[in-house]
Amino acid sequence: MSQVILDPRVAPPFPKAALPVLRNPQLRKNVAHATDVIQAKRARLVAEKTDWQELRTAAASIKDEALANLDGYLQQFEERCVAAGGVVHWAWDAAEARRIIIDILREEQASDVIKIKTMTSGEIELNPALAAAGIEAIETDLAELILQLGQDEPSHIVVPALHVSRSQVREIFARKMGLENLSDDPQTLAAAARTFLRKKFLSVPTAISGANFLVAETGSVAVVESEGNGRMCLTLPRTLITLAGIEKVIPRFKDLEVMLQILARSATGERMNPYTSVWSGVAPGDGPQKFHVVLLDNGRSAILGKHTERQTLRCIRCAACLNTCPVYRQTGGHAYGSVYGGPIGAILTPQLQRLEHAQSLPYASSLCGACYEVCPVKINIPEILIELRAQVVNKERKKVARFADPMYLGMRAANWFFTDSRRFRFAQKWARIGLRLFTGKDGWIHSLPSLGAKWTMTRDLRGLPQQTFREWWAEQPKEGR
Amino acid sequence: MRASLFITCYNDTLFPETGRAAVRLLERLGVTLDFHPKQTCCGQMHANTGFRSEAYAQANRFVRMYQDAEAVVIPSSSCVAMVRDQYPGLMQELGTPKLQEQFRSLLPRVYELSEFITDKLGIEDVGAYFPHTVTYHASCHGLRGLHVGDRPMRLLSKVKGLELIPLENVDRCCGFGGTFSIKNAEVSSAMLSGKLRDVLSTRAEYCTALDNSCLMHIGGALHREFAGTRTVHIAQILASTDATSAEGVA
Amino acid sequence: MSTLLSSRTLILDRLRTATTEATPQEPPKSLRQYLRSGNLSAVERTQLMAERLREYDAEVLECEPQHQLDAIADRLRASKRLRFVVPPGLTSSWLLAGFDWKVDNGLAHDAIEQCDGVVTEAFAGVADSGTIVLHHSATEGRRVISLLPDFHLCVLRASQIVATLPEYFDLCTRIPPIATYISGPSATADIEMTRIKGVHGPRFLNVILVHDEAITNTAIAQGRSR
Repeated sequence: MSQVILDPRVAPPFPKAALPVLRNPQLRKNVAHATDVIQAKRARLVAEKTDWQELRTAAASIKDEALANLDGYLQQFEERCVAAGGVVHWAWDAAEARRIIIDILREEQASDVIKIKTMTSGEIELNPALAAAGIEAIETDLAELILQLGQDEPSHIVVPALHVSRSQVREIFARKMGLENLSDDPQTLAAAARTFLRKKFLSVPTAISGANFLVAETGSVAVVESEGNGRMCLTLPRTLITLAGIEKVIPRFKDLEVMLQILARSATGERMNPYTSVWSGVAPGDGPQKFHVVLLDNGRSAILGKHTERQTLRCIRCAACLNTCPVYRQTGGHAYGSVYGGPIGAILTPQLQRLEHAQSLPYASSLCGACYEVCPVKINIPEILIELRAQVVNKERKKVARFADPMYLGMRAANWFFTDSRRFRFAQKWARIGLRLFTGKDGWIHSLPSLGAKWTMTRDLRGLPQQTFREWWAEQPKEGR
Repeated sequence: MRASLFITCYNDTLFPETGRAAVRLLERLGVTLDFHPKQTCCGQMHANTGFRSEAYAQANRFVRMYQDAEAVVIPSSSCVAMVRDQYPGLMQELGTPKLQEQFRSLLPRVYELSEFITDKLGIEDVGAYFPHTVTYHASCHGLRGLHVGDRPMRLLSKVKGLELIPLENVDRCCGFGGTFSIKNAEVSSAMLSGKLRDVLSTRAEYCTALDNSCLMHIGGALHREFAGTRTVHIAQILASTDATSAEGVA
Repeated sequence: MSTLLSSRTLILDRLRTATTEATPQEPPKSLRQYLRSGNLSAVERTQLMAERLREYDAEVLECEPQHQLDAIADRLRASKRLRFVVPPGLTSSWLLAGFDWKVDNGLAHDAIEQCDGVVTEAFAGVADSGTIVLHHSATEGRRVISLLPDFHLCVLRASQIVATLPEYFDLCTRIPPIATYISGPSATADIEMTRIKGVHGPRFLNVILVHDEAITNTAIAQGRSR
């Protein structure tokens, strides 16, 4: 259905990837509508919550506490989880995580597996690997089902199919479920999904989930959801595999009282999401009797070691930053070339790629700061964006190709002019003279070459005034000043 | 009250009328202004694009230049945000202990123009006259970086003859973002189209803000479309005292 | 990656190095300035719980303790359903005549799937979010029985209701090995942000709120000082 590539190693740079989206009115309308709805719901609930700022502070501090002793808390989690009957695996990277999961499924002789939505499985590109191993992965979240059947990719962390309209869903379901007379009424569509998936829930013995939180104190896992497919996957199968980034761990069970309050309000604008499941290991006679946790590093330990960037790992994947971002509003998630889009994607994806890829993402922001304002764990995203930009530039400084980069040359030249006032005045004078070539009779510039063309593409620029401010000041009488 | 005017590199070159208005306004309010002739740029453009050591070189000059200033007034909220939000990190990372100390001493003396008038001078009615309909766009750095809050609105509400029309989505970014407007020109323009729609639906004659950066982006598109709204920096509105002296506007 | 080192060792080593290098001198302490307890009276708490439940389209029937059985009968009849699965510890007098009761002593999933409804108690209710807390004890049942049937009748006593989520956690003197927090019937907004009720999980949630003795502040405080 779409030619979207969500692999940061090969995805086109953000400005290029954004183009087809910008020219798609339906997609722009869907994204704007969806983010408006969630933003409004969130804003109402935040206004009602008189201790909202205190909750944010508490949540950030809980995550920081966990991160400051991450190895200790992970070990505690492992110990408690194992004591409760779980098996804990450690995956250094995506390939290892896939291998561990496939090995478990092979041992279970699984030909298919039901899945609860987890962005982490998209990060490690699990589904294609399962297919290659002859195991059918069945997505059970309505949005993920829509995307899977439509051969599409997620464009939002919480509402992954927000770019898909109801008529598109109808078409996908009609085709893939063999339901010719299906209407496009959302209620009917959801009912079709319910029937389709019910059979799977009751028959497939293995499931894969992600985790919203790992609780070190008790070795528990917490998963929040709305539809009930989570509860289905977490209780009906015989074997459950939970894949979780190592940064998901929080110290104590009681910390959930903070995290759960901020997560639903930030993610879906509800006081609490419909279903939250918490479990430790295996409960005899109740639910899966075989439980595996796969702890994933995949670049997270490297982020932990960076002073400014460490706060990235506080993220609880609520997507409030996506919903408020004026850039995301125009482009949706696909333009970011990764399962993580929006502001968090712009900082997380490049870091997970160790800045070898996705170098355009830190620049996919006007630095307006709206994301920082809404982040429930107070990640200073603009600060990290600027830091990553510095790292991208520092990489470029070592390359010969920089001399062919007009932006690089322009910035170096500008610095030379800005670090001495005589050079600066010289630049001002010659810019004024040079730009006269492009200035129309009305005193405005309508077209410029090279980088300037990017400005004049949609905006005029007033021609440089005859006199700079400092030239005017120099002419003013100075008595009394 | 003495103050030093930091005009900013882009106001100096592109919007000198904003500087002239700021001078007229502040002198009218009893401030004795000086202008350091060696000033150039605060370094924001470089810092935000990833050229940190270059930004530091410019920040270094700024801090040393204004060591002895009683106050530094800047008609640009993004430049003040640069000083408040990013200079600490730059000084810490690249500055000498002496420079860090100079910076710490300077920091409380740096003001954005509207802050300076309401907080330092304690004035809300600046005696201005601007008989036009005006809508105010909340520049992101002023809004979220400096928390200017309602200071600009308080100043504008006291201007005689001025009718303030609220802007829908007032706190949504216009899409300028410095070099973002070039590196991501298409997305920047898409964001701008939303801001234009909101500005034009107010039917105001003028759109104002604390930053000419936002205004040249918004105003550049308004001009391209022969739209009936113009942009004007808040300094020029506040400096205006009768219908004909709204310099650079008429 | 070295084949001599397990990933576990590699990851833990990297984490240890990372935290020593980048951790600030003062180890961060969790700051807890948010609201711990509500300041609602028992009556207000129950009222708020009922209000929030109704907001989520759950049907709420409030009753006095002496009319509890009548309320249960009323809801069962109104559901127009016949076959109910129940947890093994549910009060036997609630298994009213005229219905087909399946007590869950390890029923197969298919058998539960044949049931039209389920009746359970709960561990607690959180008024602020209208949340019903199940700890899956003998009176609440295994997780599957409150998941598969389309209709869930939950009997909640006013004395089990706390105002805020932190207060619920205070009640957990023994941390539950498994728990489910229900805040309304299942829903999705995945199609054009239109909220649709009931995808999987019970589409019909009925709650009987019994106005018994309200929870005392002592009980909460005792839990908090654990």
